[in-house]
Amino acid sequence: MGLQAPLWRATAVFRFASLAYAAVLLVLNRTNYSHLGWAWGVLAAMTAWTVVTSYAYAQPSRRTRVLLAADLVVTGAALLSSAVVQNAQSTHAGAMPVTATWVAGPVLAWAVTAGPLGGVSAAAALGLCDIALRQRPVSDVYHGTELNGPILLLLAGVGVGYVSRLAAQAERALQRATKIEAASRERERLARGIHDSVLQVLALVQRRGAEAGGEAAEIGRLAGEQEAALRSLIAAGAESSLPSGELDLRTLLTPETSASVSVATPAEPIRLAAEPARELTHAVRAALDNVRRHCREGTMAWVLVEDEGGRVTVTIRDDGQGIPPGRLAEAAADGRLGVSQAICGRVRELGGSASITSTPGGGTEVQLQIPRADQMA
Amino acid sequence: MVVDDHPMWREAVARDLTAAGFEVVAAVGEGAQALRVVQAVSPDVVVLDLQLPDVSGVEVVLGLLAAQPGTRVLILSVSGEQQDVLDAVKAGAAGYMVKSVGRAEFIDAVQRTAAGDAVFTPGLAGLVLGEFRRLAADRGPAGASGPPLTEREIEILRMVATGLSYKQIAERLVLSHRTVQNHVQNTLSKLHLHNRVELVRYAIEHGLDTGMDGPGASRRGS
Repeated sequence: MGLQAPLWRATAVFRFASLAYAAVLLVLNRTNYSHLGWAWGVLAAMTAWTVVTSYAYAQPSRRTRVLLAADLVVTGAALLSSAVVQNAQSTHAGAMPVTATWVAGPVLAWAVTAGPLGGVSAAAALGLCDIALRQRPVSDVYHGTELNGPILLLLAGVGVGYVSRLAAQAERALQRATKIEAASRERERLARGIHDSVLQVLALVQRRGAEAGGEAAEIGRLAGEQEAALRSLIAAGAESSLPSGELDLRTLLTPETSASVSVATPAEPIRLAAEPARELTHAVRAALDNVRRHCREGTMAWVLVEDEGGRVTVTIRDDGQGIPPGRLAEAAADGRLGVSQAICGRVRELGGSASITSTPGGGTEVQLQIPRADQMA
Repeated sequence: MVVDDHPMWREAVARDLTAAGFEVVAAVGEGAQALRVVQAVSPDVVVLDLQLPDVSGVEVVLGLLAAQPGTRVLILSVSGEQQDVLDAVKAGAAGYMVKSVGRAEFIDAVQRTAAGDAVFTPGLAGLVLGEFRRLAADRGPAGASGPPLTEREIEILRMVATGLSYKQIAERLVLSHRTVQNHVQNTLSKLHLHNRVELVRYAIEHGLDTGMDGPGASRRGS
């Protein structure tokens, strides 16, 4: 398990460190030992076992139940050997057994492998050994410091076990997510290929139709409309993820593309908070609606979206017959909404500005500017 | 030279070009083939479909210009103006046309490309505007990486993006048609320059440039 590897490494480091600590203690507390030579023997055995387990646990395939059980047994034996090598009085008085903190090794190993339950089981087993070592009457156990050791073992078992389980769950979730992402990228790639060949054919039909004239031209025109629609659909679909609450203005405006509407945007996403983004889109749609309603059939409209850092600018120009001078102001003064409210009102509410310029016969140009809430480069 | 993997398109384009008086020296269906053939046929203009099966459009543009520096590349695409079109234009293409345009517009675009003019669609103008803005924003800490657009050039680019023809722009700004064309051409040259500078800087930063002369080294490597 990839995410658990650090836990195993930590266990190995702990064992070696505890080994060193136990050796230091053995030297310092020589007097506590009745059979010093054997104590060193136990220490040597502990060293050997630490090396073996550190090597064995390094590979997931070797982390078998047999190894875990052996770990527990060997550690327990080393712990209990203190009964033989230490002075009875020292043990009784609460001196550290010859294993010192090394005894937590199997607890960590069981916790990483089998979660909190495993950690607790190993801790309980070793804790009992530790208490048995003290040979105190049961009632006294509660009053003395003998329980400190076992309780700390239990804590370690539960804590590390829980962390290990979380790591395993995270790993599984990550694998699932990676698989889903790979699958969807593959689908996207296939879809792109299909879309491209569809677009190729539609474009060809439009061209041939225009050349042939008559009914074929009509079919060609329809094909052209579908081609524009499909193109904007693809453009809208290929979006990157954005922080929540923000939208890419391009994906909101590009679908407006059609045979008579062209939308020009930068290559990078234009990030806006969701609310202003949607309001701005409504304003743009209102402007395009105006073109459709008031202008001749076949009038073209161009939408340019620019990201100027501190603000976003959308320009909508059409080549229709234009609005006679004074008409705009008239409409606003008369209280007839339409242009005034739907477009300018919305934009002003967002803290931006709107301007409409028009010349008779020269088309109309609507410019909307919205400031960004926070400065983004 | 016509490069398009769709046989019907290849034929249609070649036919239209021949009917308009151009000489079609080669019509190939693969990027690799195009790169192999280009030096032998020495085309003045290459009409290139961006969606080729074997090599990416950008690589083909780079390869064509490296093999035949004087050639002008006109890009055709069905998928609309997006990052890949911008990348191809940055790499050195002279212009871009949507595939579904009528024959007359297409021939006009090829003629303008052959004459050395840049061919911009409104969408491409929007992409280029965005690219220069991005470069200006990124430029801060790294220092100058090439000339920015002048006010006039930005103004003209915005007009192209909102669908005005060069003639209409010339009228509005009281300039000559030729001047407007030059401004647009300058914009494209600046874009190419920025791209080359970026490539060289990238090469230097990543230790790819071991020679004393920067640009020569990067061309050697590609």
